[in-house]
Amino acid sequence: MVKKSSWMLVILISIVAVSFLAAGCAKKSVVKEEVAGRPAPAVEAKKAEPPPRPVAPPKAEPAPPPPPAPAPKVEAAPPKAVAAIDLAALRIQFAFDDYSLSSQAKENLEKLAGWMKEAGTAKIQVEGHACEIGTNEYNLALGERRANSAKTYLEGLGIGSGRLSTISYGEERPLDPGHTEASRSKNRRAEFVMTK
Amino acid sequence: MKKHKLFVSVLLLLTLFLAHPLSAKIYIDIRSPSFRKFPIAISTFQSLAPTRGDMQLGERASEILKNDLDLSGFFFLITPPGSIGKESSPAAGDSSPKPGEDRPATAGESLDFQPWANLGAEALVTGALSFRDGSLTMEARLYDVVKKEMIVGKRYIGEITDLSRMVHRFADEIIFALTGEQGFFQTKIIFVSQVGGFKELYLMDFDGRNVLPVTNHKSICLSPRVSPDGTQVVFTSYKFGNPDLFLRNLRTGEEKRIASYPGLNISPAWSPDGKRLALTLSKDGNPEIYTMNPDGTGLTRVTNHPAIDVSPTWSPDGQRIAFVSSRGGNPQIYVMQANGKNVQRLTFEGNYNTHPSWSPRGERIAFDATMGGGRNICLMNSDGSDLRILTANMGQCEMPSWSPDGRHLVFSATRDGEPRIFLMNAEGTRIKRLTFQKGSDTYPYWIRRRREIGR
Repeated sequence: MVKKSSWMLVILISIVAVSFLAAGCAKKSVVKEEVAGRPAPAVEAKKAEPPPRPVAPPKAEPAPPPPPAPAPKVEAAPPKAVAAIDLAALRIQFAFDDYSLSSQAKENLEKLAGWMKEAGTAKIQVEGHACEIGTNEYNLALGERRANSAKTYLEGLGIGSGRLSTISYGEERPLDPGHTEASRSKNRRAEFVMTK
Repeated sequence: MKKHKLFVSVLLLLTLFLAHPLSAKIYIDIRSPSFRKFPIAISTFQSLAPTRGDMQLGERASEILKNDLDLSGFFFLITPPGSIGKESSPAAGDSSPKPGEDRPATAGESLDFQPWANLGAEALVTGALSFRDGSLTMEARLYDVVKKEMIVGKRYIGEITDLSRMVHRFADEIIFALTGEQGFFQTKIIFVSQVGGFKELYLMDFDGRNVLPVTNHKSICLSPRVSPDGTQVVFTSYKFGNPDLFLRNLRTGEEKRIASYPGLNISPAWSPDGKRLALTLSKDGNPEIYTMNPDGTGLTRVTNHPAIDVSPTWSPDGQRIAFVSSRGGNPQIYVMQANGKNVQRLTFEGNYNTHPSWSPRGERIAFDATMGGGRNICLMNSDGSDLRILTANMGQCEMPSWSPDGRHLVFSATRDGEPRIFLMNAEGTRIKRLTFQKGSDTYPYWIRRRREIGR
């Protein structure tokens, strides 16, 4: 028994000695390798990036419908004083997981369309938003649906699609940062922003 | 480099030849349904180094090791009472050269296993650290207490900041030696944090340590997913105004925009072989799932439905894709072949099921759902059967992502207010909060690539 265990000991000692000898070198390089392999934090590879594109590119519609007949007349008219508009007041709300337009939403869009006809060349970006419920990937899609609902309705009222663009922020830009149902309900919305 | 490889393989041969009867034993059969937690003792690592912070390096090392082994769920940890681990400590005795004595590192020479056996330990970990000339050395050993034999012993040399990395590496050695499977203690998690006001990508160790910034877009970055080889991350960013997809090399920081179609360029997912990306584009009028090469070429449309289709996740064999669709009236999980054929609905309970994540082990899909009285993480088989709610009373739980071994999940939850990253096992227990920065932390993605033991 004693003999056997001392034999074991000899083997163990040799394993450990060899392991440590080799591990010492190997591990050293391994640890150093990992250090070198760290991601370079916050290093922007500016050269590799494509040139920035405009913040709000007009949505590429396959076949934009011809602008409504009266529109060119208005645009051609000499600049006249157009009443200022509170775009924030025209924001429209949606039901949970829904992108259909309420009668209130349609009313606001009609006001907006009326003003856009007056204003002649003003361009509007429709921002679609969602509440915090659900994963943002789905909410980005939902926000886009909401923005498109508003855009389609405005087009139906005679606003040329070239004057309208959309973007979805999903749940990323809440109007109300709270987590109550009242806050969430405010965040299910589309907003209108003037673009160049 | 070649020289190193050669050296290591010679060493491996030697080790195999000499130690085969020891290392071949599986101590913990983690695949057996009747597996019981394995009692392991961790002696406080002896520290020959100066103090750093208010904790000795040795204490920090044993704390990190205990935390790792505890998180694995395989072990019953035995903490030594004051008497052992000090005077006649196995840790103190076996590796530190005493003054005037220059002996080689040996195993078990002066180790008294009896006190550990009396505590019920079947395995024992000892270790020692020293810090000299700017170089940190850690020696650690795993013993079979019953046989009084060393199972594995390692020495690591690095910088002082490498301490947790050394410990994680030895923890993986322990898992491999006792279970025959690869651990995940050297893996990292990428996530989105708003700590600086913007939403940027950050990396951290799987246990929440060593948080590092990745991007500096000063914008909204979302949905980071790292390639199977661990070198590249694909993500959505509003950097140029529109939600576009970017591919970034995690080593060099080189970045390029790979999808910038009008509308959404979101929810990317790497195929298991890293050769294709599934993603969502709305360029054709509504959100559809496509696949493409990671450089943006070879775009193929996969879904074709007027409803929302988003958030694809691949099966481990790359043959199928699970995704979210609103085609049934509200968001539900569906599965299809990777070419878009044979779409089947998987979830029928609840009216808001999103963010599917397919386990790397194949048979299960995690997702988030409005079930169980709020937003919770759920789990089901990949055919939709055996639906279970894993979380409860943690606020809004969202965005589950699997550990490389398919035994754990990370996710975001509002349990403590703002969304934070949490870790739990796939049974929904052993919940641990990982992030403590200011601002929200979301979109955790557990990087699958790991440094494997014995290769």
